[in-house]
Amino acid sequence: MSRLSISGVEKSFGALKVLHGVSMTVEPGEVHGLLGENGAGKSTLLNILCGVLSPDRGTVQIDGRPVTITSPRAASEAGIAMIHQELQQVPELTVAQNIFLGANLRRGPFTARAAQEAEARRLLAPLDPTIDVTAPVKSLRVAARQLVEIAKALRARAKIIAMDEPTSSLTPAEFEKLAQVVQKLTAEGVSVIYVSHKMDEVFRLCHSATILRDGRFIERVKLPETPVAQVIAKMVGRELVHATHVSYAKPKVILQAQGLTGGPVRDVSFTLHQGEVLGIAGLVGSGRTELLRIIAGVDSSTGSLTLNGQAPGQGPRARIAAGLGLLPEERKRDGIIRHRPVTTNVGLASMKAFTTGGLIAKRRLHARTEALMKDVGLRPLDVTKPIGQFSGGNQQKAIIGRWLAADTQVFLFDEPTRGIDVGAKAEIYALIERLAAEGRSVIVVSSEMPEVIRLSDRVMVMREGRISATLSGPDITEANIAHNAIPA
Amino acid sequence: MLSLLRFRDAGTVLGLLIIGTVFATLAPTFLTAPNLLNVLQQSSINACVALGMTLVIISGGIDLSVGPVAALSAVLGAALMVAGVPVPLAIAAMIGTGLACGAFNAALVAFGGLQPFIVTLGGLSLYRALALIFTGGQPIFGLPEGFRALTNGTLAGVPNPVILVAVLAILAHVVLNKTPLGEYFLAVGGNPEAARIAGVPVRATKFAAYMISGACASVASVVLVGRLGAAEPTMGTLWELDAIAAAAIGGASLMGGRGSILGTLIGCIILGTLRNGLTLLNVQAFYQLLATGIIIIVAMLVDRLTTGKQG
Repeated sequence: MSRLSISGVEKSFGALKVLHGVSMTVEPGEVHGLLGENGAGKSTLLNILCGVLSPDRGTVQIDGRPVTITSPRAASEAGIAMIHQELQQVPELTVAQNIFLGANLRRGPFTARAAQEAEARRLLAPLDPTIDVTAPVKSLRVAARQLVEIAKALRARAKIIAMDEPTSSLTPAEFEKLAQVVQKLTAEGVSVIYVSHKMDEVFRLCHSATILRDGRFIERVKLPETPVAQVIAKMVGRELVHATHVSYAKPKVILQAQGLTGGPVRDVSFTLHQGEVLGIAGLVGSGRTELLRIIAGVDSSTGSLTLNGQAPGQGPRARIAAGLGLLPEERKRDGIIRHRPVTTNVGLASMKAFTTGGLIAKRRLHARTEALMKDVGLRPLDVTKPIGQFSGGNQQKAIIGRWLAADTQVFLFDEPTRGIDVGAKAEIYALIERLAAEGRSVIVVSSEMPEVIRLSDRVMVMREGRISATLSGPDITEANIAHNAIPA
Repeated sequence: MLSLLRFRDAGTVLGLLIIGTVFATLAPTFLTAPNLLNVLQQSSINACVALGMTLVIISGGIDLSVGPVAALSAVLGAALMVAGVPVPLAIAAMIGTGLACGAFNAALVAFGGLQPFIVTLGGLSLYRALALIFTGGQPIFGLPEGFRALTNGTLAGVPNPVILVAVLAILAHVVLNKTPLGEYFLAVGGNPEAARIAGVPVRATKFAAYMISGACASVASVVLVGRLGAAEPTMGTLWELDAIAAAAIGGASLMGGRGSILGTLIGCIILGTLRNGLTLLNVQAFYQLLATGIIIIVAMLVDRLTTGKQG
């Protein structure tokens, strides 16, 4: 008997039908992937499972018994727990308090604090005994916070744990640990629903997967025996062409950094050429993001930076004027003004160019934005819509458009495809290559090795704030990058 | 977005129409030209303050110090006029006072990194104290007739303060919707870090917001001092709350990043209509306060039920 069996689930928002009779079955003790591009209906299905949304039609059975999940509490009682991508925790409360949030152990009218802490310790022991249950959750790293969520799920005696993009901010080592935890869970009969864009992880962990596309059930596949290319083709509905790397680098030096030091970044020097794509690899915490922010003038530093032989001023405004533009990893937090339309988000860095006599030339801004967005492939091509309503990939395209509008010479990408689905990923890669072909220079920080290798002419590896190696040509291999990234 | 905001404004107008219809039915004198002009005139001071407040709120801040800023402007301006300084110069000094107070607030927010609520809460005490110390707590009388005539006059039958507010509102609307500064207000309020990374001059934008708010408060003090013929160091008490209420009814998000000048203006008129209508119906002042509270909460609930989910 299947642990979870969903069949014929339909869901509409107003006139928009987002799930067309979706089915999914998960066996006891199985890790089951839920795969699909953004907009395929994964989130809606998960929200139905954990009681946030209710389906218009269709049935959900757990261990053969039909259940109606009308609220998050009902989901929890049915044995379903969800580990959200953005962890739903109260940062100020302790680990134990978070594990018992909403289900406190009591002694009379009081919280049985000691009992809670003892139980929390017992739950965490097989996951990570080093986590201090009396520490506030905000003091933990993301990986540990995730384990706290898993402990919370176990406290609620969950039979099914759904994980939504659990590794989006984990290091490779932390992923290994999570993989072990997942295996332990399944050994005890817990079923895990695993949602991720990272195919290597899905193939590593999952026994089977349900593939959704445009709100429709496409196929249930066995993993890892189904070939990756076949799974991706079913997700995107077409074969993705894998281009080989082409270099557009010219000898002319555009950017020269000398002894940049600030935050975790220590004495970083390098040059960037016209049309070059320079990758920066390294572990999370090695100072890659901070280096980009220093170059973009967002964080301050010592050392020198020249652009076309001249020193740009301090601060983001001066750096933007000099031709640098940052495309941050956390687009929601650092990239977009979500309530504002695409036009504003694109024009924000070059308002002066769109201003006549003190007033914004709205028609010109609209026309320019529309042309740029058509070019980068914004979908839907409606530039008056608030940017927050677009998918991650489209938001990234808009931010690329922002720097194109500002005629930026050096694009600083921090994790260019984080949270972006497989199909849009290929488009972002093509756009980065086009920037280089147009003679612009690009720096790409990425944790995904295939991405760095695919895109870069040269790769700088960072380790503990310093550059430990610069690789080019055939030396750019996963082994070389990994070797130089790991602290000695 | 545009359509959403217009939708929100339409909701505010609808609210005003409903309240107006109720009063028109209950009080026969409500729907007469003199009374409606009266409503506008009574709303003009709050409207003046609320325009600046709206820009501050949109930029992600709050200005609790508007009342005391107005009082400080009032007593300084009145003292200058009594000392024989020409009226235009005295008015310029009043507005200068508002700008200076706003700049002080902004400096603490933008450079000191303090929370706007706390900064302007401090300002609220500080500016009030300065006004009280300066006057010894006594009102200043004996203002020139020429000054009083400015605010008590009419143009084509419309009271001057109403025209003044109309002009200021058009200016504020243009700034918010048609200039880079307006986009910067929305961007800084919507997402300060993203705005900074996109090259928005975040500090200058905050200075602009608080200085405009200070200036609006002093313009309101010009109107009130002209009407009363005296400058009281205690004037402007609770102005900040009326202004925030008007902005919120009009659709400004206290989280920043959203708001509308038209909405705020109608919000002011709703509050003014409520007071006027209830007075016409001889409802006790205590119940007027009750009605105001209910309107604010109902407006927020409607907001939440209609547009809130999308945000």
